[in-house]
This record gives sequence, C-alpha cells and structure tokens, in this order.
Amino acid sequence: MNNTERSLIKKGSLLIIIFFWVFLSLPAQQKTISGRVFSAESNQPLAGARVQVKGTSEIKVTGPDGRYEIIVPEGEVLIFCYPKMVKKEQITGTSEFMDAMLETDYYGLEDTLLTGYSKQVRWKITGVVSEVKGEKLGNFPLSSFETALQGKVPSLFIEPVNGKVSSATLMRIRGTSSIFASSQPLIVVDGMPVSTETINFSGAPVNPLSTLDINDIESVEVLRDAASLAIYGSRGANGVVIVTRKKGYNGDTEINFTVQSGFSEASRRREFMNSAEYVSYLREAATNGDLMFDRYYGYPSGTIDFCRNDVETKLKTFSGWAAVLNGSGNFIRSQVSTDWQNLAFRKGKIYSADLSARGGNEKLRYYAGTSYSKQEGILISNGMEKISVRLNVENNISKLIQIGFSIGLNRAGIDQVSADNDYSSPMQLVALSPVTPPRDTNGELYSYPVTTYYNALIDTEEASKKITEYRSLANAFITLNLYRGIKWKNEIGFDLYNIKENARYGEKTMEGTGRSGYGFANYGQNQNILARSFAEYNNNAGAFNMKALLGTEYQYTTIETVYAEGERFPSDALKTLASAGLISGGSSTLTRYNFLSYFSGLDANYQGKYLLSLTGRVDGSSRFGRNNRYGFFPGLSVGWIATEENFLSGVSFLSFLKARAGYGITGNAGIGNYWHAGLYDVASYNEASGLVPGQVANPNLKWETVRQADFGIEYGFLNNRISGEINFYNKKSDGLLLNVQVPSTTGFQTQLQNRGKMENKGFEFIVSTVNFTGHLKWNTSLNLAANKNKVVSLGGQDIIDYGGDRYMNVVKPGYPLGSFYGAEYAGVDYKNGDALWYVNQQDANGNIVNQDKTTNSFQAVNFIILGSPHPSLTGSITNNLKYRNFELSFIFQGVTGNKIHLAGDQWMASNGVWYDNQLRSQLRSWKKTGDVTYVPQARLAWNNGNQSRSSRYLSDGSYLKLREIILSYEIPSEIINKINIRNLKIFIQGRNLLTFTRYEGWDPEVSADFMVNNIFSGFDFYSAPQPRSVVFGITMGL
Amino acid sequence: MKAMKGKILLFFLIFTVVSAGCSKLFDIEPSQNVSEKTALSTEANVISVLTGAYSVFNNPEMYGGNILRNSELLAGNGEINWVNSETYYEPYQFFEKSIVTTNQEVLLQWMSSYRVINTVNNVLSAVQVVRESNRNWVEGEALFLRALVYFDLVRFFALPYEAGASNSQYGVPLILTPTRIIDSNIYVGRNTVEEVYNQVIEDLSSAVEKLPESNGIYASKGAANALLARVYLQKGDYYNARESANAVINSGRYSLMPVYPDIFNQNKPTSEDIFVAKITYPDEYNALTLSFSSSYYGGYGDIEILDGHLELYKAIDKRLDMFYTGDGAIRCGKWNNLYGCVNLIRLAEMYLIRAECNIRLGPPYTGSNPLDDYNATHTRAGLPAASSVTLDDIILERRLELAFEGHRIHDIKRLRQNVAAWPYNSPKLVFPVPAREIEINPALRSQQNPGY
Repeated sequence: MNNTERSLIKKGSLLIIIFFWVFLSLPAQQKTISGRVFSAESNQPLAGARVQVKGTSEIKVTGPDGRYEIIVPEGEVLIFCYPKMVKKEQITGTSEFMDAMLETDYYGLEDTLLTGYSKQVRWKITGVVSEVKGEKLGNFPLSSFETALQGKVPSLFIEPVNGKVSSATLMRIRGTSSIFASSQPLIVVDGMPVSTETINFSGAPVNPLSTLDINDIESVEVLRDAASLAIYGSRGANGVVIVTRKKGYNGDTEINFTVQSGFSEASRRREFMNSAEYVSYLREAATNGDLMFDRYYGYPSGTIDFCRNDVETKLKTFSGWAAVLNGSGNFIRSQVSTDWQNLAFRKGKIYSADLSARGGNEKLRYYAGTSYSKQEGILISNGMEKISVRLNVENNISKLIQIGFSIGLNRAGIDQVSADNDYSSPMQLVALSPVTPPRDTNGELYSYPVTTYYNALIDTEEASKKITEYRSLANAFITLNLYRGIKWKNEIGFDLYNIKENARYGEKTMEGTGRSGYGFANYGQNQNILARSFAEYNNNAGAFNMKALLGTEYQYTTIETVYAEGERFPSDALKTLASAGLISGGSSTLTRYNFLSYFSGLDANYQGKYLLSLTGRVDGSSRFGRNNRYGFFPGLSVGWIATEENFLSGVSFLSFLKARAGYGITGNAGIGNYWHAGLYDVASYNEASGLVPGQVANPNLKWETVRQADFGIEYGFLNNRISGEINFYNKKSDGLLLNVQVPSTTGFQTQLQNRGKMENKGFEFIVSTVNFTGHLKWNTSLNLAANKNKVVSLGGQDIIDYGGDRYMNVVKPGYPLGSFYGAEYAGVDYKNGDALWYVNQQDANGNIVNQDKTTNSFQAVNFIILGSPHPSLTGSITNNLKYRNFELSFIFQGVTGNKIHLAGDQWMASNGVWYDNQLRSQLRSWKKTGDVTYVPQARLAWNNGNQSRSSRYLSDGSYLKLREIILSYEIPSEIINKINIRNLKIFIQGRNLLTFTRYEGWDPEVSADFMVNNIFSGFDFYSAPQPRSVVFGITMGL
Repeated sequence: MKAMKGKILLFFLIFTVVSAGCSKLFDIEPSQNVSEKTALSTEANVISVLTGAYSVFNNPEMYGGNILRNSELLAGNGEINWVNSETYYEPYQFFEKSIVTTNQEVLLQWMSSYRVINTVNNVLSAVQVVRESNRNWVEGEALFLRALVYFDLVRFFALPYEAGASNSQYGVPLILTPTRIIDSNIYVGRNTVEEVYNQVIEDLSSAVEKLPESNGIYASKGAANALLARVYLQKGDYYNARESANAVINSGRYSLMPVYPDIFNQNKPTSEDIFVAKITYPDEYNALTLSFSSSYYGGYGDIEILDGHLELYKAIDKRLDMFYTGDGAIRCGKWNNLYGCVNLIRLAEMYLIRAECNIRLGPPYTGSNPLDDYNATHTRAGLPAASSVTLDDIILERRLELAFEGHRIHDIKRLRQNVAAWPYNSPKLVFPVPAREIEINPALRSQQNPGY
C-alpha cells in the first residue's frame, strides 16, 4: 500500500466510526402512548396503577379513570403494575394506544413480608416464610393469640395443653429439637423477643402470652428454614414467630368497633357409671377380690369376706343421707345418682368488645385501640378477664428522620384452678362415687370420707385463687435515612410482665384443714430490655438488586419473685396474710441473663431470576460457659425463578415456578441461666448457714446446635389461580444438653454436657386454589406437613426413663423423643379373667423372640416401644366462600400418627381395684369362663391390668376437627351510607364445633399441664377437653 | 460531608458503648446459689463451706444415724432382728449379709461420703483466705471431717486392716484436692488400705495440733485425739492408741455422766460427749430413731433386741434400763429422741481403750491401771467394783457399754471374731463398691471387692 491509500483507509475508517457513533447516539424515534389499565377480574379501571418504561426511570401513574400517558421509544417495553395484581409487560408497536388488563395476583408475589429484621418482596424470598394476616388470624375471643394460628401454617404445631383458661400452649415448628432445653419457638413482637417464662407459684401454669391482645395484630410471619433463622443466631433453632402489631396509615381516619357475645362448653363428655351400675360393679369386684384372697391363703372359696364387708360399709358411708337401708341396717341402694362430671363442667359465657381508630397523613400516622374480653372457662371456678390499651404513633419528621413509638398495656385477671394432678382440680370430681349426693341435709358440701376423695367443689366455695397479670410492651425507634439508600434504625424495646397471685384456702378445704386455713401471696416480675442499632442498604436499580443489613443488639432480662405463706387464720373471712396467726414460709428469687449479638445479611438478585441470600450472626450470652461465650451462625440460601427464563415463556399455564435451597446453622439458647457455672447450694448445720458444692462447672457448655438443609419449590398455574409450595427439610440437632453421669468420687453425680443428637426430617405441601371468581367466589387452601423425629444419640446412654410406675414417655435412641415405652397388653385370659401382656422377650440384638407368649404377671413383662406422642402428619383445609354480601369461611384441621396415654384411666378403668368411679366401658368386664373381652375381671384390692405403663391405656390420637367456621353478612353499603357508617357486618363464628376421632378420652388435643416438657407430652391425666365455642358479633366501621 | 461524618461517629459511638466491657458483660452472678468463685473468696464464705461440710456429714445416711446402724446390722447375729424385709430391703441385706451391688443405701453412703470429702477439700484449698488467727481451727476441722469419713469408708468398703501386715488390699480412692473440672483425671482407682489409714492418721495428727481444746459443737482437739485412738485401736497399734486415749482423758475436759441413761437422747452434748452430730428441729432428724425406736417415739420399730443380747448383762446392770418393750418387742432406748444428738465419741470409750491397751501391753501402764479404768464404767453401771480384770472382761465391758453405738462390726473384725458362720475377714462383711461407680469409672472396673 502506498501512502495515499493508507490515508484513505484511515479517513474512511474514521468516517465509518463517526457515522456509527452519530447513528447510535441519535435519539430513537420517540412517541407518546396512552391508554387505560383495567382489572381483568372485575373489568374496572385501576386508578394509581404504575406504568414504567422498562430499563428506565420513566414512570407514570394512571388517573382515576385508569388513564395514562407516557413517552416511550418505539419498540420498547412497557411494564404495568398495581398492588395485588400480576405485573404485565407489553412491547410497544406502532399504535399510539395501549390498554392493559391486569390479572389478580392470587399468590401475592409482590407482597412484602417481614423476614427477620427487614422486609422482602415475596418472589425474592429464598427462605420458607409463611404469613398469616390479621384478618385470617381472626378476632375470636381466645385466652391467647397463638391458638388462632392452629392449622394456618404447615409444620407449626400449636396445642393448648388442656381446656383451662390461660392454659400453656405447646408450640413446635418442624418437630421437637431438644431434650432438656426449650423447644418453643422464639416469639418476636414488633422486633422484641418477648419473655415467655411461667412464674406463677401454684395451680396450673399460667401462659404469659395470654397478655398479648389478638386484636392488636396486623400480621404474623413464621420462619422455619435455617437460612432465614440464622439471623436469629443462637435463638433461632426452634423457629421464629414474628408478630407485627397494627400501625396507622396515610388516609382518612377509620374507626372500628366490634362486640361479640357467646358461650363455650366442654367438647365431649365421657361415660361414667351411674349409681346402680357402680353398686353392682363394686359388689362384683368385692366378690372376686375375696375369692382371690381365698386362693392366696389356700382357703375354700367363700371363706374370706373382708372385701365384701368393706364394700357394704363404704357404700353406706358414701351414700350419706341418701342411703336406703334394709331392716338389718345394710345398704340396699342410694337415692341419688350424681353425675359428678356434669358438676365439673359448665356453660361458660364469652363476651368481648374492641374499639380502634387509625389514620394519619404523610407526616404523622397513628393507631389507637382498646379491647375488653371476659371468658368463663368450661370448668367451674375457672375464668379470665382481659383488658388492653394500645397506642402506636409514627412521625416522618423530615425526609431524613422518622420516629415511632408504640406501647401496649394489658391486664388479665384469672380465676385460677389447680393443676391436673391435684385432688382439688374440678376434673378429679369424676373419681367420686355416684351414690354420693353432693351436699348433706344442711346444704353443706360433703367431703371425705363421705366422698371417695376430696370434694373439689369445696375449693370453689371455700377458696379463692386469683391471679392478675400485667404486661407493658413498648418500643420506640428512630430511623435516619442517609444518602445512597442507607437507612439507619435505632430502637429500644421494653417488656415488663408482672404477676400477682393471692390465694386463700378456708378451713374446710384440703389445703386449709387442720391449720385453720392457709393463704399465700406471690409477686413476680419479668423485666426484659432490648437495644438495637442496625443499618440497611437497598439498591433496586438496574439488573443487579441488593439489600444489605448490618447491626447489633443487646438484651437483658431480670426475673424476680417474692412469696409468703401463712396459716392459722382466726376466721375464713380474713383474707390477707396480715391476719395469719403464723407466717409459715417465705422466699424470694432473682434470675438474670443477657445476650449480645452482631448480625449481618445480604439479599441479592440478578435480573429478577437468580436469588441469593447470605446471613451471619455472632451471639454471646451469660448462659454459655467461659470457653464458648460467643457463637457464629451462618446461613445461605439460593433461588431460581424458572418462569423468568426464556425457555419457559412459552408454557402459558405455568405462571410461576421458583426453586430454592438453603442451609444454615442456628442455635438453641433456651437453656438454663446458670447451667455452665460451678455453684454452691445453701445448707445449714447447728443453725449456722453453710454452702455445699452443688453443681460442677462446665466452662465448655454452650447452646445446642441445629444444622438444617432445605429444598423447596413454589409454583403457580393458570395465572396463579392454583399456587403453592412443596418443601423438604432435614434438621440435625447436635450438642443436646444431657446429664452425663460422673464418678461420685468427684463429689458430684452428674455434669450437664452438650452430648446428644436428634434429627427431624419432613416435608410440607401447600396448595391454594381460586375456584370461582364470579358472583360466587370460592377459594380453597390445603396444607399438609409430615415430620419424622428421631433421637440419634444420648452420648452413650441407652435410655432416659423418668416415668416410674406411672408414665411411659422415654428418650431412646432410634425412636422419636418421648416415645411410649411399656408393656404390650394382650387382652384378657378367657379362662379366668386375668389381664394378659405379651412377654416380648428380646435377644441380644433387640429382636423379639416368642412373639405370641403372654403372661399374667406384670413383673415378667419386657417393655417395648409402643408408639409416639408426635403426629407424623398434620394438615388443614380452608374454604372461603363469598356470595353477594354473605361470606362463609371454615377450616378443618387434623393430625394423625400419634398416640395418647390415658394416664388417668389407671384409676377410671382400673378393674375395680379401689373405690373410684369407673367408666361405663368397665361393665364389660370378664365374668365367667369363655367371656371374650378386653376388660379384665373386676377384683377389689388386687391389681389386674391396671398397671399404667401398658398399651391398654394407649389410644389413637388422630383427629379431624372443624376448627373454625365463620358466617357473616355485610349490610349493603346503600343502606349504611345513609347514616354515615362505612361498613356494618354481623357474624356468627364457632371454634371446635365438630371433632372426629377414635380417641377414647375427652379430647385428643391434650398434654397434662403439671408436666409439660419435651419428654413428657401426649398424656391425659384428668385433663379438661378443649372448649367448643360459639359467638355472635357485630362489627361496625366509621 | 460533615453531617455524614457526624452520623458515622454517632453510629460507632453507640456501637462501642454497647460493646464496651464485653467480657465482663456475661459474668452474671446467680442469686439463689453462690458461684464457685465467690464461695471461696472471703473468710466468711470459706467458713460457710466448712459449715456446709458438716451439714452433709449430718445427713441421715451418714452420721445423722445410718453409718452407726449399718455397723450394728452387719454384726447382727442372734442379738438383734431386722424386721422389715419387704419394703425396706436395703438394710435387710446388711443384716442377712447378702448385699447386692445395686443396693441403694450402699451407694448413698459412698456418694455422701465423697460429697463431704469434696467440700472439705475445697475448704483446705482456700485456707489462705482465712485470717491467721482463724486458720488453724478451720483447717483442723476440715482435716478432722475428712479423716472421719475416710476412716469409715475404708472400714465399710474394704477388707479389714490386718495388724502387722502390709495391707495392700484395695481400700478406697483417696481424693485430696477439690473437683473443679470434669476431665480424664476424675477416673481414679482405689488406693490400698494402708495408704488410706496413713492418710487418716496424717490428717488427724495435723488436726490435733491445729484444733483448739474447746470448740463448741464442732471438732476439738479432744475429738481428734479420740478419733486417733480409735483408728490406732482398729489397726492394733495399742501403743499409740493408748497415748491418744490418755491425752483425751488427761485433758480434764470431759467427765463421765453419773447416770447412764442421761448420756443419751439429749438435745445438746453432755459432759461425757467428745463429739456429737447435732440434729436441729425441724429440718433434720435422728435416723437411728427410725430404726431402733418404737412408734411411740416416732420410729418404725425395724430393729428388735433379742434375748441373745440381753443375756450378756448381769441382772443388776443399770445399762439394761436402756431396753424397753415397744410395739410388741424389746427395743434399745438410746435413740428415742427424734431430734436428739447422735453421740459419736464419748469419754467411756477412751477409758475402755486405755484399759484394753494397757492390759495388752502389760506394765508399766500409762495414765492409770486397767482395773481402775474398767471400774470407771463398770461401777457407773451400778455393778460392784471388780478386784481384778482380764482382757476378756474388758472386751465384754466394751461390748455392753458401747452397745448399739456403731462399734460392733469393727470390733468383731479387729478381734478376729465371727459373725455366725462368717469369719472376720469374710467378703460378705464388706460393702461392695456400688455398681453405678464400677459402670461409670473404668478405673474401678477390675477393682470390685471379692465375692461381688
């Protein structure tokens, strides 16, 4: 090439470059496009819908008629969005008009959920988070709000332990993860982990959560996968229930008022013998008892009449004034047949009222509410009255600063009853004989020895047991909106729970007899303070969005109790201890603990298709030993929205498909406050006080660890009219605290060490369908959860069995925690009426040899695992129907795979060994050779099948209940608008109206309240059934 | 930019304030218990721990009664009868000499003994905290309690001491330091009987130096000397036994009660008591009452006294007054007071030890001649003074004087007598090492007592 050619090429290239450059930088053909945005379901225009040119920040909002106008380069894409509608993208063409029809987003992809310390849009969430909105939670007057969550979240198992008012609630998320530490999930209210310690002195344990008002709740989120839980660090292992209370909003003031009234009663009664049946059964038992004595001593049959004489004497005594005697003064019959069970129950009245107001503007928003409820329990002398007041204020002082303040004050008054195993518990009245009249001829309640045991009705008349709980839950925050999308929030929370217990037992009561009355006063306070500071950074521009979080928090709790007791009151009318002749006891306790944490999180998504979430938290606590003061808890989860990929864009019926997976390490710090410390106990000698080493230090003691892996799919078909989730999880608990035996030469017997291992595996399945959307709207939602729990290791121990003679729950590696371990009942020997069990002899490998061999000697029986108290499958199905102004909603909920131990039946179905009244089923006792029955021969004073640790007293715990049903009618707006009322609704709602179960006891939802812990569950000991309730109400909005 | 800097500073201020003093933040002291650190940090607290050791020493399974009872039961042969064989079978096994390794009372005695030992070891480790003026008696009492407990551990759980032999048979593990952590060092095996006795004597000799003459209800110099006399006697070291017993008698602090029954069932020590276990109403009780006394006194009447024992006494012996009929059998009335002191060591025993040692060793006698010492208790019992005395007389006098006070099996073993068909060194007269301890401690696995 010569010089000229070279310069030509140079110039030409330059020109081409300039040409392209100019061409490319020429603004494309812009045009104005206008149109309207409609809702596809209602065909109505949508005001306030957003129209955006994809990839730019050019956004316009539709006017009241749904109309918009926007400038857009030709061929570009317009995105149409509206809350609760599926986002739609349309390519612009040559036309100047473009309408958009938006489908209702049944799945709520654009909804924002609280996933821990910050909010996240649903489609971006890579964890397993379920939301229950306040409306779905309902406003049924309940003792405690968590009961309303039953059946609404898969794998969230909620069971009030019995039907008493303010009973404790068993809560489990994805199974039980600990043996000796707490398995209850962390409850967070407006960012504050609230205290849940039970600090009442006597009677059934009182549930502190009953002081949180259900009417205050805006929404509840439940976190259950480890990656989401990792941000709660050492407190997240059991899952987290996040409660958000109602706040104000930017808009016209709304006032809402609801009043409800109704009643509740026991959902089931058992059948007990009446007077005549009792007499004949007891005489049968006495005859057989005497024959047993004859045989034992080798006398001819009929020689001994000790039992029969005792029975006749007792029948006479038990009948009091109602005894009908013959000429020789012997008992013929009783004039009465008392139904003691009936006297224990009553129809309890329910009443509640709730008033709230909210409103505000852009600068200041407020919510104020107050409510009152009174619930009489289904057991006599049990009831609860609650009152609460709440205020929430948020103020945007400027674009930079936002402050907020919220306070809730609650007071609950409880008429307390005794724990299930106390003679003075009303349910124990069923043991009394039907021949006994309740009162003598003077109208005084009969007591022992006319009544077989203490007459619990006496406590209802001669004792008062009042408990008052107060709770103040307050928080305040200040948020600074720094530049570049960084928000810095500082908050302080304050949770103060007080309990006041005053009991006074008169001279005639079991507690007060022999000491001229007894009384006690107990005051407890649980003060819980939290301070938190964290920064959040959001960047949603561009293809790569992210949210980052970094913060620290400190929580400090102090629990104090003081009590005093006294006796020797000159009169039952004197109520306070000031009148006690002797102050017989008193004590005070103090417990403190704290947590210091640093946490961070990162959520990122690329092109709205690929999701990533990382969290990490460092926790330190006074509960952990010196060598393990701090723990680190990481979590990682990823997600892929497959339907955003091009290869799935052709599949029109598949509207949403997301796959997600995660792994995280969380801890369970629900351990004792001083379990790691070397402690001395107090003792005394020669009236001088002393100290003795009581607990050996374990500086290595730390939280229990849970490592969990999750995998799940979220799906939606037909524009998400069918949507749902399928989740799989595998939760491995490690370092479970166990008492390890140490040689006594150390001066100690045990040391608590992190040694045990447990596993929970399962899956969840959710499907929601929008069946009809026309005049009749019908939605259905089904959720199912399966969980398999297994104790993997006890650090070398074979079994932990604290059941003694009475309870069957044990901890045995290879089986679920709390499995029932006892004798296998084999029915009754048809030849002689002896109760039989399978010997179940086992070889060295634990296999049963001689499977069919039975014995009538309980001592010769080998125990085997008989079943588990935990359901293997739980689920619920919700239906919601709307027709014109009527709405009907109902939930069926059920469990299966679990058994329940009828521990009280040892006395109520005891083969007549003593004088307790028996269940009517015992009439089918073996009477003569050849009788084939499961009920052993009745024998007074001789054990014959009444050993508690046997499958004779195990019953199937499966049930299906009509948990909730609500029917409401909204008064048409034409009518109410005339009187300036915004809305008016009348409704009737019921809980536990139907129960389908094979369980023989009162209610398959049971776990006797005097012993609620991880090991002992699923047993019924004179436990009250859940109430069946109906209320009628009116809601009015102004 | 300035505003930004200010905000960042504020952030870190809050951050550092919250994180300040991190390590101390978690040191929350418990309030219903005392932490290990605090318990030994001041003199008052160390003394409290010493008091704590006494409180365990005083438990029913220890010197609040059952250690004395168990000695009598093991020796039971025609003189007593243990009635309750069904519901209270653990002591019955002692009586029948058919003890199983899972016997819960054996385990309890072992466990509580080591609890006392660990507590006093803690005290001994912290004596420096105590002022010099108090240090001696604190250390002395701790050593006394440790020696007392080890002495009984080795007497019950090991084959008997053979005078003059090397005694290398298994004794009990000797733990002389407090347990602060659980690690592999806790698995210790048994020391020999010789080693245990040597430690006991070393502890007591040191206690004798440190303890004051008078110390209220707590261990005193006299108590240490008296216990030392008992230990030497058990070893068959009559020379040293005599020295120690003599020191007690010559101190002049103790005198025999004129009326025999007045020694017992008292709520506080008498002039004759050298060391007692004090029972404080209503939280504590005298466990010997439950076994020996009739229901009238709050006991269960488990032990009946048979003619085989009563025949040993002369008819005019006032010591027979201690026996009475209750609940259909003869009972021993030394323990009728449910809240009375347990007489652990009294002066009469010192006279008997001195007499026995003097007569065995022959003249020249130390302190007094055996006849006078014998007559001291003999005439107190209302019997005429003897004019001459043999070793057998003294042995019998000892048996009657100290009957049912926890000496019997130990005397039988040192005197090489039989219990029914069992010789003094029969494995059946020795407690097994509890099964639980064998199972948990690999070092003990191969060290179980013969016959178990």
